[in-house]
Amino acid sequence: MTVEVQSKAKLSQLTSDKQLTFIKLAVLSMAAILSFATRLFSVLRFESVIHEFDPYFNYRTTRFLTEEGFYQFHNWFDDRAWYPLGRIIGGTIYPGLMVTSATLYNIMQFFNITIDIRNVCVFLAPFFSSLTTLVTYLLTKELKNEGAGLVAAAMIAIVPGYISRSVAGSYDNEGIAIFCMLLTYYFWIKAVNTGTILWATMTALAYFYMVSSWGGYVFLINLIPLHVLALMLLGRFSARVYVAYSTLYCVGTILSMQISFVGFQPVQSSEHMLALGTFGLCQLYAFTQYLREHLSPANFELMFKALLTTLLATLGTAIVVLTVTGKISPWTGRFYSLLDPSYAKNHIPIIASVSEHQPTSWSSFYFDLQVLVFLFPAGLYFCFTRLTDANIFIILYGVLSIYFAGVMVRLMLVLAPVMCIVSGVAASSLLSLHVKDIEPKVEKHDKKKKHENNLVFRSEVGALFVCVLGCLLVSYVFHCTWVTSEAYSSPSIVLSARAHDGARIIFDDFREAYTWLKMNTPQDAKVMSWWDYGYQITAMANRTVIVDNNTWNNTHISRVGQAMASSEEHAYEIMRELDVDYVLVIFGGLVGYSSDDINKFLWMVRIGGSTERGAHIREADYYTGSGEFRVDAQGSPTLLNCLMYKMSYYKFGLVYTEGGRPPGYDRVRGAEIGNKDFNLDVLEEAYTTEHWLVRIYKVKPLPNRGL
Amino acid sequence: MIPAMAKIQFCVLFVLYIVIKCDSVNVDTISSDIKIKNVDRSIDISSQLVKITSKVTLENTGKVPVKTFLLAVEGTAKNNLAFIGAKDSSNKDLRLVETTVKGYDQVKFWRVELKDTINAGSTVVITTESVYTKALQPFPTAITQQEDQLVKYNGNLYFYSPYNVASQKTNVIINTKSVESFTKVKPFSQQDGTIVYGTYANIAPFSEKELNVHYKNNSPFLTVTRLERLIEVSHWGNIAVEEIIEIEHTGAKLKGPFSRYDYQQDHHSGPASVRSYKTLLPASASDVYYRDTNGNISTSNMKVKKDSVELDLRPRYPLFGGWRSHYTLGYNVPSYEYLYHSGNEYLLKMRAVDHVFDDMQIDELVTKVILPEGSTSIKVNFPFPVTRLPDSLHYTYLDTKGRPVISFTKKNVVENHIQDFQIRYTFPRLLMFQEPLLVVGFLYTLFLCVIIYVRLDFSIHKPEHPHKD
Repeated sequence: MTVEVQSKAKLSQLTSDKQLTFIKLAVLSMAAILSFATRLFSVLRFESVIHEFDPYFNYRTTRFLTEEGFYQFHNWFDDRAWYPLGRIIGGTIYPGLMVTSATLYNIMQFFNITIDIRNVCVFLAPFFSSLTTLVTYLLTKELKNEGAGLVAAAMIAIVPGYISRSVAGSYDNEGIAIFCMLLTYYFWIKAVNTGTILWATMTALAYFYMVSSWGGYVFLINLIPLHVLALMLLGRFSARVYVAYSTLYCVGTILSMQISFVGFQPVQSSEHMLALGTFGLCQLYAFTQYLREHLSPANFELMFKALLTTLLATLGTAIVVLTVTGKISPWTGRFYSLLDPSYAKNHIPIIASVSEHQPTSWSSFYFDLQVLVFLFPAGLYFCFTRLTDANIFIILYGVLSIYFAGVMVRLMLVLAPVMCIVSGVAASSLLSLHVKDIEPKVEKHDKKKKHENNLVFRSEVGALFVCVLGCLLVSYVFHCTWVTSEAYSSPSIVLSARAHDGARIIFDDFREAYTWLKMNTPQDAKVMSWWDYGYQITAMANRTVIVDNNTWNNTHISRVGQAMASSEEHAYEIMRELDVDYVLVIFGGLVGYSSDDINKFLWMVRIGGSTERGAHIREADYYTGSGEFRVDAQGSPTLLNCLMYKMSYYKFGLVYTEGGRPPGYDRVRGAEIGNKDFNLDVLEEAYTTEHWLVRIYKVKPLPNRGL
Repeated sequence: MIPAMAKIQFCVLFVLYIVIKCDSVNVDTISSDIKIKNVDRSIDISSQLVKITSKVTLENTGKVPVKTFLLAVEGTAKNNLAFIGAKDSSNKDLRLVETTVKGYDQVKFWRVELKDTINAGSTVVITTESVYTKALQPFPTAITQQEDQLVKYNGNLYFYSPYNVASQKTNVIINTKSVESFTKVKPFSQQDGTIVYGTYANIAPFSEKELNVHYKNNSPFLTVTRLERLIEVSHWGNIAVEEIIEIEHTGAKLKGPFSRYDYQQDHHSGPASVRSYKTLLPASASDVYYRDTNGNISTSNMKVKKDSVELDLRPRYPLFGGWRSHYTLGYNVPSYEYLYHSGNEYLLKMRAVDHVFDDMQIDELVTKVILPEGSTSIKVNFPFPVTRLPDSLHYTYLDTKGRPVISFTKKNVVENHIQDFQIRYTFPRLLMFQEPLLVVGFLYTLFLCVIIYVRLDFSIHKPEHPHKD
């Protein structure tokens, strides 16, 4: 607001048209710069480094793409992962992200801008957030007006729900997918409003980009048909919608099938059936419209009934036949868990074990969206007051994404943009309603309305309202900055803590261990760890892993879980079977790092026991008699003698961790460990990092005969 | 005037260089006039290097003055030799020329050119210094974490020379009392940290007798297996130096497990391991970074001293025998300290290799110098023989035709090689403005395009409803 005032003062000599353009440009470019800048906390605090787990895989593949070229990348069989199975990378990823950054990298190299590929990857997400800000403006402008667009753009620039997945270094698909999604929506609204093939084709292209970059495109390809259906039901179906949707579906589907990971899914899997069905329905609807114009009502009635029955019958048989022959793939577990939040927990432990697949708590809505939560209903109201095709779309999008965000924390990301758009509409409408009231109008022109608006304290109420809303928006800014800085800007690969004297301590143990692995183990060494660390090991240590974050093979992961949960002798058999050379565990007991392997251990037990070969592993064995999970002397003997326990606590029983506590006091579990004095028979400690966060063990070879 | 002088100077150097090159095929003879009266030799094997310093008293027993004499290195040791040098009594460096002698194909010879001739019957004292790498063999070759590192030195009991040596004495410096075994040829004595051999009288030319010392040596056995030094010169006042270093602990290998508990509890645990080392950078070094392929290495300290910047570098993990590490160290130095110019002629004088740690040994050094774009007639002068690699071009920000890169490589480098190389080149000073002008031109074109696009109407037909607001 202040910017507007200042620029107005400076530019008073310009015409009002130019002033407006200037203000728009100023607000938009500032929002775009802000959205880039606010995501740089971690780069400034730590360094330009890739965060978390999945981004390391994306970074590694991007590096491969830039070094080897697209065709090598497309045909890449990765023998560093899922030993001994391997993984076909080209056919099992969404390549949009890698291709985007490789393209940017190559363009810059062409102009002799010798920026490192790592930096391209680190800053890609903030860069795309800036673009998202611009697209949000365009989209909201289509829905409402330019004012709402500017407010929405400013809001999305700093909304924590989006920042959480797009800070610098968080090099993940979502970083660019949100941009693609909003771009597709913008083109779609344009296409629906104009009914031109040009815009519909643009939608299809944007949709193709979206498909190439994120699995979440399924949401999009269900939302748009839903919009079309809603328009049909409301009697708003027109030639414009028909042209837009038919073009989008044909071009978009063909394009999306070019992504090898997607393949024939758009015509086979049940997740895409709504789009296909709506496409068919559109044709029928248009056809009936056509018939109705050319036939007499009686004939038409007969014709309609006959056609409908035949069609339904054919469709029904076709679906049954295709399902039986397996042409229509069964609904995947991740999709079930969208509809039924408890589905995954009961059926697929590997999905439930990921924290971002958990249902969202109420508090995190407020945490991630703050004032938007309250503005959203108001915005919906304003959308309903002037119902247009575009508004119906945004209402649908808002309502659906609220539901999905409630099911899975991760989908908060999809909700955040629509929250900003709808709240932008609300804030803008409310402000323009009340700002008018503050300055007493020159009332010569509308004498008739004077009677209707004869309210007392009109300008005072207006001023008060604007103040309150201003305060809310300011608090939103502070909240967003605080959340970004505190919650979403730690790279998680480097940890930092405050010492008693306020000095910063850095725990760089992960990179210490990975570098050790990279430099001091044989090139072909096989490393076993829980799947969380697979991507990081292949990317940073360049060693072969047994399982990684691409959890495509449940039995393989289960086998690793069984090894971790078994006793040493039994685990040795499994490790020999998997040809493991090194085992890596994360242990936080010394410094109090709570997301370590002991705390994840129950998932290993559950996943380990979920397959046939792991039938001997029963979750109940790892609990005490009273059903507790304890690592101290009262813990269950099965737990106290399993491989994971021994690897985590080897020689830990001798260490004094806290004053006034016995040696071997685990600072995460807050207990003195129960099994202190033991030796490892089949493993030997190969390396333990400075703060014991990562411990690497070497699997001993079979003993020589006769010894 | 000055460029002309520089040119002449360069020509002289160039001729000398050619002479050196030609000399390597030259053959010398062993003068029978020269006798060695006395040799006082010290063999320092307290670090990972073998440093032999000998004070040689030469005598001319002939009738004619002598201008040169020969230094010899045993055929068995020549592959380990990293550096050899000689100084006269006033501590001035003497020039050494590699040469051969007929009949001694296995032996390596250097001809030392004296500043003043040795007149008939007179003597002169020369100090020779030689450094050998990889001459100390760890024995046993693998030790556990708690054990001390024992190494074996295998050398020559006598001063190896093509001349007769009248009397000689050798001090072996080991800086430890724990010696497992050593060669006992009388007379000898063992004192605190040193073993003294001699005096031995009248040793014939080319005498060799085995000298073995097996002793404790826990000094860091670190080898830089490859060092790539990148020097990027900018005429805007800055020289960026980046060193990519691959390092390996080449002492006794670690046998069995590494126990972090023992390593943390007992500071004497892992005596042969290397926790950290010190790197000295030029005093004007700034913006120092220390990282590897996985990012910044947070374990380092920097101390700015009067004549250097001292970096206490800690690798991500302690280095035990056989463990390797890899990192990049970079910094900036102001160019006025290293770059001299007169008109369009420039002279860059920088170290071909810099300090990595005390008593360092570098297997392979590659130095690349990136000169500003537009530099021509480049002439290079090296302080010691190197292998020049083909020149290339480097492209970075705002380059059009690329910056010339001069690169050279050398194997087996030690601290004695920290010497300056010189590069002369011509750079038209007006070219300095090329890059700013490029940016200005680009922005100008951009704005021009925007102005043209905004001011002119490119639409094919006028829209029916002209744009509102």
